[in-house]
Amino acid sequence: MRLPVREAAGGSIYDLGYQHYLGPRLGRFHAVAAMYVHSLRGIFGIGRSLSSKIGPWLLLGASFLPALVQLGVASISSGDLELIRPEEYYTYIQIVLALFVAVVAPELAGRDQRSRTLSLYFSRAIVRDDYALAKYAALVTAMLCLTLGPQLVLFVGNGVALDDLGGYVENQWEDLPAAAASAILICLLFAGIGLAISAQTSRRAYSTIAIIATMVISSVVGITLVESIEGDAGRYGILVSPSNIAEGLTYWFFNAPPDPEEQLAKAHLWGGVYALTAVAISLLCLALVLRRYRTIQA
Amino acid sequence: MALQWMAMQSHAADNDGAVGDSPLLRTNALTKRYGSVVALDGLDLELQPGVVGLVGANGAGKSTLIKLLLGLLEPTGGSAEVLGFDTRRQGPELRQYVGYMPEHDCLPSDISATEFVSHMAQVSGLPAGAARERTAETLRHVGLFEERYREMRGYSTGMKQRVKLAQALVHDPRLMLLDEPTNGLDPRGRNDMLDLIQRIGSEFRVPIILSSHLLGEIERVCEHLVEIAGGRLVRSVPMSTLTRATGLLIVEVDGDVDRLSAHLSRQGLSVTRDGRVLLVSVDGDADRVHDKVRDAVVDLDLGLVRLEQSRLHLEDIFQTTVVDREAAGA
Repeated sequence: MRLPVREAAGGSIYDLGYQHYLGPRLGRFHAVAAMYVHSLRGIFGIGRSLSSKIGPWLLLGASFLPALVQLGVASISSGDLELIRPEEYYTYIQIVLALFVAVVAPELAGRDQRSRTLSLYFSRAIVRDDYALAKYAALVTAMLCLTLGPQLVLFVGNGVALDDLGGYVENQWEDLPAAAASAILICLLFAGIGLAISAQTSRRAYSTIAIIATMVISSVVGITLVESIEGDAGRYGILVSPSNIAEGLTYWFFNAPPDPEEQLAKAHLWGGVYALTAVAISLLCLALVLRRYRTIQA
Repeated sequence: MALQWMAMQSHAADNDGAVGDSPLLRTNALTKRYGSVVALDGLDLELQPGVVGLVGANGAGKSTLIKLLLGLLEPTGGSAEVLGFDTRRQGPELRQYVGYMPEHDCLPSDISATEFVSHMAQVSGLPAGAARERTAETLRHVGLFEERYREMRGYSTGMKQRVKLAQALVHDPRLMLLDEPTNGLDPRGRNDMLDLIQRIGSEFRVPIILSSHLLGEIERVCEHLVEIAGGRLVRSVPMSTLTRATGLLIVEVDGDVDRLSAHLSRQGLSVTRDGRVLLVSVDGDADRVHDKVRDAVVDLDLGLVRLEQSRLHLEDIFQTTVVDREAAGA
């Protein structure tokens, strides 16, 4: 082996030349995990410029606001007043969730298309489906921070405000699996819609607008259907709106009745329908994402 | 170096049944059709490790071949085995050992070269620690220093090409596929890039398939040449058989060229004039021809500027081939 010696100020520098890598190659699973972590970091702008951190972190903060308000109220009233109940939590932050998807999904799916990095990914130890799944998993995980995170704060905070965390946990522990199950479905649904839209184009602005439009229009359409059409068709019409689906499935998991003033109460569907619809739409969106990455040129 | 080379081969051999002493790649009637368009038509090719030049006109099937070898495209027919892996069934395993540098831009602008290359190493299967170490090393090898911590948006074309090369090298591949690596570079950048590629091939001992439409580049770097046209293999030959001596001696003098030409003809030599130089054919005793030329120059009192064997360049061969084909077609 060549070992040229260069004289330097403090002594000699040994140029060891090129070293071959003799360590392990960890294969496809490791590669997908690395992609997942990289995507998750990218969503929150970690390792990127300040400007790419602002949006996601502001929205992350906003998702905790209702929990903090409730904690403030609870601490003043020694836990007697429950202004914001866990089954209503996602209703309060729905706008935040929709905005979060509209801000981060176009960047998550569009960046590699814009810079044509897909060729580099697809020529590595993964297949195209892995790429799509890693992106989806990363977005769902990021959204769980905005949904489960505040629920946990709310739960622990309420217990502490009562000065009896142990007793609170004993009485209310059923809130936890309900919060988790509804959060997971809502995140799968919102992330699926966001990614299915933004994977179709490299243009961030188009995706952002399309996502917001989808959320707003579907919700208006859902309400109109319930209001204007008599019978089953109208009742099931509420299922075109992701935000109503999210509310419906949350009430169902918490085993709580919806506000009688809401469209949800008027539609009067069995709660499981919302959960099943959420799963079905998520799967459909995932199929769209997979199809896009199977056919995209790279 | 040789020992490490062998160690690496056997390590790969342990991994998923790839055979260490198999050829670099072997294709068997490899075919790719897009609808009615045949991009690659029954290609049979076997290559040994080394630096291989892949030439052909635009649309000849170079990019299709590269993508098939990477397992990125499904062949319509036939099969390809690269490094002992079947491209159709063992894509992800194979691609742990392959580095690919596309022709087009492919770098994200908003992260640093260090972060990006290290991420790419992990997606090729390297553990995080090894990925970081090799990233620092590889970026140093391609000549990227302090700027590697900056966002890539500010990089010059030359720097970007270096990062593209680095991401193809960082995981110590056993085959690098480089698609037009000097694209968009100025003459100096082109030169540096070719030096780097040459070094990777000869010093680092990483086999390379280099696609280029510039024959001069192929000639300078490659040991073997593969030419495809219309999706078919035209030739696969060692470079040395192409750039052989032509049996002509180039003579350039300061003075009356025609007088020298006439003089040499009288000596029984076959001479043709090509601009300011004379081409003297050498058949039989080369030393005798050299001596005759020298004596003639002295006799006529001319200044000898150049006396050298003429070698074929790829450019000459390809021009001849095209002329032959056109003649055959006419």
